[in-house]
Amino acid sequence: MTSRRDFLRTSVLGSGAMALAPSFHQLFAAQGSIGVPKRFIFIRKSSGIRPLEMALRNFSDKDKALDEKKEALEVDLNSHELPKWLRGLDDHKENMTILQGLSAKMSENVHYSFSSVMGCFKSNRNTLSAIKRATIDFELAKLFPSPFGHVELSFAAGRTGIVSGYSAPAPQTRNYCYADPDTARSELFKSVLNPEAVNSDNDMLSFLQSKEGQKISGIQGHEMKRQESHLESIEAIRERNKKLISISGSLAKHLPELAPVHANGGVNASTPEKQAAMTDVLISALKAGLTNVVTYTIDDLGTPITGLPGNETDRVGIHPLGHDEAFGGVPAWKTREQIRISHINQIKTIVEELKKTPEGGGTMFDNTMIMYFPENGETHHGIGLESPFLIMAGHNCNLDLGGRYVRLPVLGVEGHKTLGNWYTTLLNAHGNPMEHYGDLDLEMARKKLDQTGAIKQLMA
Amino acid sequence: MRKTPRITATLTAILMTLLTCLTGSLVSAQDASGADHSFSITEGTHDFLENHCYDCHDADTQKGDIRLDNLTDLENPKRLDLLNRMQEQLYFRHMPPKKKDQPDEEERKAILKVISSELGVYEASTLEGKLQKPEYGNYVDHEKLFSGEYQDLPGFTYDRRWLISEYIFNAKFQRIVENHPKTNHNGTRVNYVGSNSIRELSLANPFLLPTNSGVRYYANEDLTGGHLSSMLTNAQDTSEYITDVLVPKSKGKYLPAVMEIIAMEEAHAATIASRRAFLESHIERICGEIYGDLNKAMLPTFVPVVLQPMPELKEGEKFKKAGINVSTGMLEKLGAAPLVYHTLTDPKLAKMSDDEFRSYCERVWFFRGDHERTIQSRMALLREFVTDFRGVAEGQLRRHKKIEYNPLADEEMDVIRASIRKHRKKGDRYNSLIEACIADWEQGFEQDLIAAGPPSDKLLSELVEQLSLKILERPPTVTEAVEYLELSKSYVAKLGKLKAIQKLIQTFILSSEFAYRQEFGSGEADEHGRRMLSSRDASYAIAYALTDQSPDAELVKAAESGKLNTREDYKREVTRILKQRDTIYQIDPILAGKSYGDNTTDLAIRKLRFFREFFGYQKALEVFKDEKRFGGDRLDQATNRLVNEADRLVEYILKNDRNVFEELLSTEEFYVFHDGNNERMQEVSDRIKSIYAYFKDKDWQNFKKEDLSDHYDFLKKVKMRGVDPDNLDARKRTGTTIQHFKKSMTSITARLDKGQKDAAPFDMYRGYGSDIMPGENVAKFYNYRKDNWDWSAVQPAKVPNRKGMLTHPAWLIAHAFNTETDPVHRGKFVREKLLAGTIPDVPITVDAVIPEDHHKTLRTRLASATEAASCWKCHESMNPLGYTFESYDDFGRFRVEESLEYPEHIVEKRPDEARDRNHLLDLRDIYKTLPVDSTGFLKGTEDESLDGELKDAIDLTGRLAKSRRVRQSIIRHAFRYFMGRNEFLSDSKTLIDAEQAYLKNGGSFDAVIVSLLTSDSFIYRKTIAN
Repeated sequence: MTSRRDFLRTSVLGSGAMALAPSFHQLFAAQGSIGVPKRFIFIRKSSGIRPLEMALRNFSDKDKALDEKKEALEVDLNSHELPKWLRGLDDHKENMTILQGLSAKMSENVHYSFSSVMGCFKSNRNTLSAIKRATIDFELAKLFPSPFGHVELSFAAGRTGIVSGYSAPAPQTRNYCYADPDTARSELFKSVLNPEAVNSDNDMLSFLQSKEGQKISGIQGHEMKRQESHLESIEAIRERNKKLISISGSLAKHLPELAPVHANGGVNASTPEKQAAMTDVLISALKAGLTNVVTYTIDDLGTPITGLPGNETDRVGIHPLGHDEAFGGVPAWKTREQIRISHINQIKTIVEELKKTPEGGGTMFDNTMIMYFPENGETHHGIGLESPFLIMAGHNCNLDLGGRYVRLPVLGVEGHKTLGNWYTTLLNAHGNPMEHYGDLDLEMARKKLDQTGAIKQLMA
Repeated sequence: MRKTPRITATLTAILMTLLTCLTGSLVSAQDASGADHSFSITEGTHDFLENHCYDCHDADTQKGDIRLDNLTDLENPKRLDLLNRMQEQLYFRHMPPKKKDQPDEEERKAILKVISSELGVYEASTLEGKLQKPEYGNYVDHEKLFSGEYQDLPGFTYDRRWLISEYIFNAKFQRIVENHPKTNHNGTRVNYVGSNSIRELSLANPFLLPTNSGVRYYANEDLTGGHLSSMLTNAQDTSEYITDVLVPKSKGKYLPAVMEIIAMEEAHAATIASRRAFLESHIERICGEIYGDLNKAMLPTFVPVVLQPMPELKEGEKFKKAGINVSTGMLEKLGAAPLVYHTLTDPKLAKMSDDEFRSYCERVWFFRGDHERTIQSRMALLREFVTDFRGVAEGQLRRHKKIEYNPLADEEMDVIRASIRKHRKKGDRYNSLIEACIADWEQGFEQDLIAAGPPSDKLLSELVEQLSLKILERPPTVTEAVEYLELSKSYVAKLGKLKAIQKLIQTFILSSEFAYRQEFGSGEADEHGRRMLSSRDASYAIAYALTDQSPDAELVKAAESGKLNTREDYKREVTRILKQRDTIYQIDPILAGKSYGDNTTDLAIRKLRFFREFFGYQKALEVFKDEKRFGGDRLDQATNRLVNEADRLVEYILKNDRNVFEELLSTEEFYVFHDGNNERMQEVSDRIKSIYAYFKDKDWQNFKKEDLSDHYDFLKKVKMRGVDPDNLDARKRTGTTIQHFKKSMTSITARLDKGQKDAAPFDMYRGYGSDIMPGENVAKFYNYRKDNWDWSAVQPAKVPNRKGMLTHPAWLIAHAFNTETDPVHRGKFVREKLLAGTIPDVPITVDAVIPEDHHKTLRTRLASATEAASCWKCHESMNPLGYTFESYDDFGRFRVEESLEYPEHIVEKRPDEARDRNHLLDLRDIYKTLPVDSTGFLKGTEDESLDGELKDAIDLTGRLAKSRRVRQSIIRHAFRYFMGRNEFLSDSKTLIDAEQAYLKNGGSFDAVIVSLLTSDSFIYRKTIAN
């Protein structure tokens, strides 16, 4: 038995189970049927991605010069060789886009960006009140509703349980996330694994409905409408729970199996094991239709790393690696590369699993976009000059993506694009006509350069 | 031309007509049950359209792409959209245009009735919702409200519930979990209210208010499924926090019934925890005692872990080993630190060789039963870092004290020994043995729990009572007590005791009573059908009008003892709370989130917050600004201070409570880098001056470190930043002692060499530790150069080129864009907030963009886009007011020349990043400039002596401060803020009385508040009819 006083040790939010399908105010209104949805997976990594690490190996001299000078460039991926760490995705080049040159100065950089890399604001070292707007994943989740609305997974800081996340459903509001595969599985598949929780929620809602219903008599006018609306709100939550129960058959079919090493937070699971298990849960949640948007912090500077090739028996730290300090006699750059390879292995699994799963006339992957990017820009101590993106997109993606290496002009020159432009592109392409998402870049503003709106060359 | 007949119908009457039509048509829509409803135009309607609309909006003209001659042909959604737009244009009197013939009031009423009826059939009218929003409050005729013509109308507010605000949400949860945070206030550590965070409990606040300037919190919002969904999660988290943290921590004082119900579980948990802790520390010893020499034989065979060999580096390859901080941190995280440090400092064991030491540790971990992978990671660390660990082991003992052997009570030791004997198997590692013992004990305890049965009805009733008091702040009614008891029993039966308690807590939190404030009349109705607020509701209404907290003890007592039933009773309580100074309120959670100290006030927070939100200067914190354009140094800290000092200024004026509106609009005295405490600021200034006086004639520029020793006593006394006379060899990240000394002296000398009377306390700790005052670059907003700043220790003090809050840089930034000023919104603020004027919504066809022209000022460019006739009809109400603020740039800095910030106009390019931060740092690029034109025009004060040409913003604010209309406009906004609704003509007396109270009490805002909160509009409630 775990002592209930372990509450604080395991979680800042509490170790107990959350509501059947918890969601935020802002997503609740977005319930509804949408046919075949689009799916978005945001994979955040720490310690930067150096633009040169993403550069293709057999650029022509001219292209290499443009890339290094950070001038506009576009080449066909199919006729180029990927860098070693990306080669796990060689078979999926037609779905791959490498997007270089986006700047992220309006978000926080250096070691951590917290919520800001997905919200385009300064997060003031993760201060709640600095969260200026809903992050891009939540904006997309509003467009493609689902029972959970949005799911955040995280290995940040080596925590376990249900803990605070980096995504934001609204200004001054912080998301929670599942910080180990076991917790993610039990929470996402709670209606299958823990039907008592469903029943106890329903008992409570039923009592509340009856009690609030009694208050209708004796009130009039707007107050009566208010009370009716309150009853409808309770009913809406019951309906959502019913919906989850109604798909429990489908949930059971997709219930992922986890190895015993992942029990109780999986403190002894190696990094590759943890990543693979979390990826399994992620894929299962998508296949079961629980969510269409997942944000996955695959690591941050505090994530303990163990069991990587070359460092099989070492425990290594991402922060010291960023400072070129290394472990087990393996040079830091090699360990950093192995970390990236482990990430790419997860992306490969997601792509291939979704490609195997039929949907509509094609596969689930046709309607999916995976974005892999650094939380803090172009290096371990990023300043937001560049924020490279690796994008894997299915054929039904609403954007002109796939087989492309695109380098945009560097910050401060005509045609440069920011993270805000990229997120605006995602929103505009999927039904939100917002003029511009996020804060503007002040250098672009100072130079009076156009910087709002979508990136036209990526629009379909 | 037809003359407009005398207006006889009031806007209230029109609104009531609209509401009546709507209500009637709702019924008919239900009757129709979706049956076809044909739309036709009567002769009267046709005549109206013919006479007043078709000239501009028929098939040929279609001005603004609007055509009204085919209403009957349109599909329903399009027709309803058009009718809504017509309704608003007619109701707000934007149409027909002023220059055209106007319909008389009866005609206008008639056409509105027709439109409203048609919209009502489909429940599609949007006007009623808009009219309830604060930004539409000004559409009620200002002259009529204050004319006296309507002051005999009986004032009242409808019975209502009012959704809690984000602040009340925070206060409720802080109260429930008894969180008592502390902060600095006036240099002392005090408890405060208003925090939005609770340690170890993260809540999602679903009641966030809009972020616009002006009144933000209104009683027109309803609770939705979204609110409830978030509250469901909040309720779950809170219930677990209560049972798992609060109740055990309080040892049963917090919600005693909870502890009583789960006493047995708690006792079991404590016993298990104690036995576990003992065994984990002393298992080897206790087993040795039991088994003697046999103990070792019972252990499994030791199997060492295998480590990956260290690879050979390739030629040219480099390997940099991680530092000692990294390795010691990892040792901690791997749970290996205690054994490693204890062994390395044990006199008997420390002499072991590295290999012996590693082997010793590995064996301990192996027999203890630690996971193979954990041991592997530890051994890999010891392989690389054992020498480093030897070096730091002694120092680490402070964190890892050795655990002495203290046996538990005899009975407990007997239980433990018996259990070990029962479960010990040959080959088991110690952890397996411990887990087997614990599993056995837990099983026994489970049986005890089953035997004890469910809690009694009496105990559950006590729980219901305690939860009702804790969460709803009242005992349950007799019916509720029965209902909740039955519910509790069913929860216990299904979920067990602990989960049942949690579920019951959640049920209370999810009650609508928790999410809504209640404001209902009670007792006999008077001749106007009004009833006074019930005493309890009145106590909350007063408390929430002035604070975010529930009623204090005195208010509760007054309500319970029948002393909240008269206007005098209200006055007594409101006055008391306004005078109270013993509660410290946090002003701004955003500043608190930025770790900005001293962000508190002892004024009733909602009084200060009214002006904060009315002016909206706190939005300066959200406007993302370019640090380089600011000058390149710590803009964030400077902006925090700027907003805080705006708060200080408002607080200062409110505390004086004389001519408050006039002072706010025209004071020439401001706080600049000052914490509001003149005495403390003077002390700090005097100390810096003493340093200057002491060293100024000495050759300090050429001092060596050793020379500082000659001034030991003085340096010890004054405490210069980074200069510790007892440790002159100290070297901090920011430099050596002598470097710190010279840096401070350079800054102090630059600031006091020109005859300044005081010294601003920057570049200098007030003492050792963290007591510093950040944000000195706030001076830059006021155009002060820090090397020649006549800072005053006594503030607020006169600042040149400023007059009132509208020239405060915080307000100017809040009403500016990222890189440019914003004359339109600055003008709109003055028109709507101060002149009680109205500005129509921006037509959806307008693309509001200021054209680029690299050779013109912003004003000229804006004029070119807005002075066309179709735009000017609205912009003439804003631009001539907003232009006057062109004397200040988008950082609020005074200027007479506007920089043309385009690359081709750069005169001097300065570096983008600071190489050496000092008091003269200025990274701004220098551009060509054009003269600023800050002239404007004031119209709408209804006072000929004030209306007219304006020289600049100072001219404008001076005139606004003298305007009766401005005074009345602020009072109208105060009415909305404290009542949570827009004013109607029936509130005329309330507004007139509030103005009179202000005038008769020397411009006291307290008098305005007392007047409003003792008015009929506040005290009396009426039931709204269906």
